[in-house]
Amino acid sequence: MKREIRIALTGNPNVGKTTLFNALTGSRQHVGNWPGVTVEKKTGKASRNGCEFEVVDLPGTYSLTAYSADEVVARDFILDEKPDVVVQVVDATNLERNLYLTTQLAELRTPIVVALNMADMAEAQGDPIDYRRLSAFLEIPVVRTVGTRGEGLQDLLDAAIREAETSPHHEHTIGYGNEVETLIATLVDALRTDADLSGRYPLRWLAVKLLEGDENVLAMVRGGAAFPRVEGVLSSIDADEYEAAMADKRYEAISAVLPQVRKASFREMSPSDMVDRVVTDRYLGIPIFLALMWGAFELTFTVATPFMTAIDTVVAWLAEFVAGSIEPAWLASLLGDGIIGGVGSVLIFLPNIFILFLILAILEDSGYLARAAFIMDRPLYALGLPGKSFVPMLVGFGCNVPAIMATRSIEGEKDRLLTILVNPFMSCSARLPVYILFAGVFFPEQAGSVVFFLYVLGIAVAIASAKLFRSTILPGEASPFVMEMPPYRIPTAKTALLHMWSRGSMYIRKAGTIILAGVLVVWVLASFPFGVEYGGAESFAGMIGHVLEPLVAPLGFDWKVAVALIFGFIAKEIVVGSLGTLYGTGEETLPTALLADPGLSAATALALMVFVLLYTPCVAALGVIRKETGSWKWTGFSVAYGLVVAWILAFVVGHGAGLFMGGM
Amino acid sequence: MSDTAKLVFGAVLGVLYLVIGLLQMVGAVVGPLPGLDALSLTGNLFGGFVLLVVGAVFIAGVRKLAAGSGEGAIFVSVGFLLSVAFGLVELLALCALGLDAYLVGEWAEWSVADAVNPLLYLAVLGAVGFLAWGRTFLRGLTAA
Repeated sequence: MKREIRIALTGNPNVGKTTLFNALTGSRQHVGNWPGVTVEKKTGKASRNGCEFEVVDLPGTYSLTAYSADEVVARDFILDEKPDVVVQVVDATNLERNLYLTTQLAELRTPIVVALNMADMAEAQGDPIDYRRLSAFLEIPVVRTVGTRGEGLQDLLDAAIREAETSPHHEHTIGYGNEVETLIATLVDALRTDADLSGRYPLRWLAVKLLEGDENVLAMVRGGAAFPRVEGVLSSIDADEYEAAMADKRYEAISAVLPQVRKASFREMSPSDMVDRVVTDRYLGIPIFLALMWGAFELTFTVATPFMTAIDTVVAWLAEFVAGSIEPAWLASLLGDGIIGGVGSVLIFLPNIFILFLILAILEDSGYLARAAFIMDRPLYALGLPGKSFVPMLVGFGCNVPAIMATRSIEGEKDRLLTILVNPFMSCSARLPVYILFAGVFFPEQAGSVVFFLYVLGIAVAIASAKLFRSTILPGEASPFVMEMPPYRIPTAKTALLHMWSRGSMYIRKAGTIILAGVLVVWVLASFPFGVEYGGAESFAGMIGHVLEPLVAPLGFDWKVAVALIFGFIAKEIVVGSLGTLYGTGEETLPTALLADPGLSAATALALMVFVLLYTPCVAALGVIRKETGSWKWTGFSVAYGLVVAWILAFVVGHGAGLFMGGM
Repeated sequence: MSDTAKLVFGAVLGVLYLVIGLLQMVGAVVGPLPGLDALSLTGNLFGGFVLLVVGAVFIAGVRKLAAGSGEGAIFVSVGFLLSVAFGLVELLALCALGLDAYLVGEWAEWSVADAVNPLLYLAVLGAVGFLAWGRTFLRGLTAA
């Protein structure tokens, strides 16, 4: 029978844990060149030498004193689930800070293997690590790995097998000095009286955490037999002072080891540092970020154009074929107006979605998006939003669902709630088809710039809303932002394309499922009751649209747009799909039909794009808001606030543009 | 080449980007500017903004170089990098528009001259600077 070994991959954020996880298990979990990509644990399988491995990828953590929700996930797994082996992934280019976590893990008496990852980068920088000596000093197996190239994986699994089979494991302790050690001994003595705790955790580790003022550990002790004595000890000391002193001792130990295992050759400035001087410049950083965003949307619109034309030609041909050759008429209408008109008008934007995701993947893999978060910290902090919020906000450019989940890396409940509430204003890829359609039809010469304006407007509304919430319903000060800059890397075509595909293929799946279902419902509503004109005022869709029309008429929208917006609640792409179905475009394309509609103008189109940008997020995003806030009240608030802001801004933008362009 | 050459070249590029960027933005607000056809201004507000940003990076570098700060050379080199990057964006856009014109049967009416814009032709100068000074940035970076 095969031996089963459970491995937990832990380590600081952005050290390559997920890359290693993917290489070990053959998974394709998302990897990013910035901290905080993994916010919940992921599991995969591997096998080696008759052993079956369950590999668990944990969120990054700097220490075992957990502050944010994702750090709690990592620590609780190691402490409570007790994996057979903990593999700490260490960034070889940043050994000193990474070994700080090693000193804490070593106190847990857990079998540990250190994966010295990114070893190639350290060597390229002229700073090779003697991992065998490091292993001898730490008394922990150290394996050289390069996750991106799959180097050292077999050695890592072999080391994990050996560690899992070695028993018992002794704890590796740091000497904290006489004063601290006396207190540790007193606390250990007290904790021994708590049978439950002493059976589950190493007592010295608990004592160390208590002296560091760890709230989670104190909560575990509270109410137990040891608590009165523990409280007596802790009330006599300043936890902050002890935490700092103990951190100093850990770094002293690390500093003693480092010179003996590395041959650092310091250069004046790396290429990463040089580029950072400019792109994170106090005055030029934000303009450069905006300029790069404009470039991204210019590419998204223009490069996709010939591919869109090709898809459009196929869709138009199919619609024509169906209209001319299929009987009975209702079936031709279902296939032509409903499915081809609806889903086809969404699929046309597939090239834009893929190109946008490719550009985002390149920016992310290069390490630039981490800089974007850094440069936005100053204005965000001034407005009361923690700089750390910008990472989930950037993730929101792809999809708001993982973006809202990514808020787990934010410490402080109010900061996190604030970030969740403003995240839907970040324009996700599902809204892109609406922009491309209307910007392409009504602003053909400046479509890329119009799309860029909408994305910037989304960021501006998010920031303004955060300021408003901070001064009203969520008062308080934003947490300071500490973020480690990952080095710049040249994105590889393979990883960039994989990222593009993993995100873009979701769009194809949605087109075949939820969007298809949505447009079929719209077709039914537009076709019934029997005998009415398709999409006419007497159809169910017409009736619903006319009931809603007064609400959106001040924005210049007619009943068809009202119906499309209602279905956009399910998924934003359905706005385009619904319009495709309602206009019953048949042989002509949706852009042609929109342009021919006298009720639509450039100003109305701008108002509609602003409304779609800002109004209520899709059902999936609402679900995750409910899950992450644990509150229907905040979920309802998010819906209502989005609708009100969307209506007001669409009105202002539409009528403002109407003054210049006419047509409102 | 020396820092002086870099300073002069960066200054010329910086001024060109700033002036053309300003004209582009003015043109976007007030309409086509007479007598400037040769500059291929597109009247794109945000395109003008991008030109100003690249120009500002060059000028920041030139000012630092003139003040004797070694950091100035870094700014000028990143300016070259940005110039080339935005030039590539426009080159890809131009190719895509040409391909689209071919697909929709408008190839005969399509002209490269109509699709050229300042970000594209200024990038030629940026590429010269990049080849002379900017490539060192890419050395030492590893694959993601």
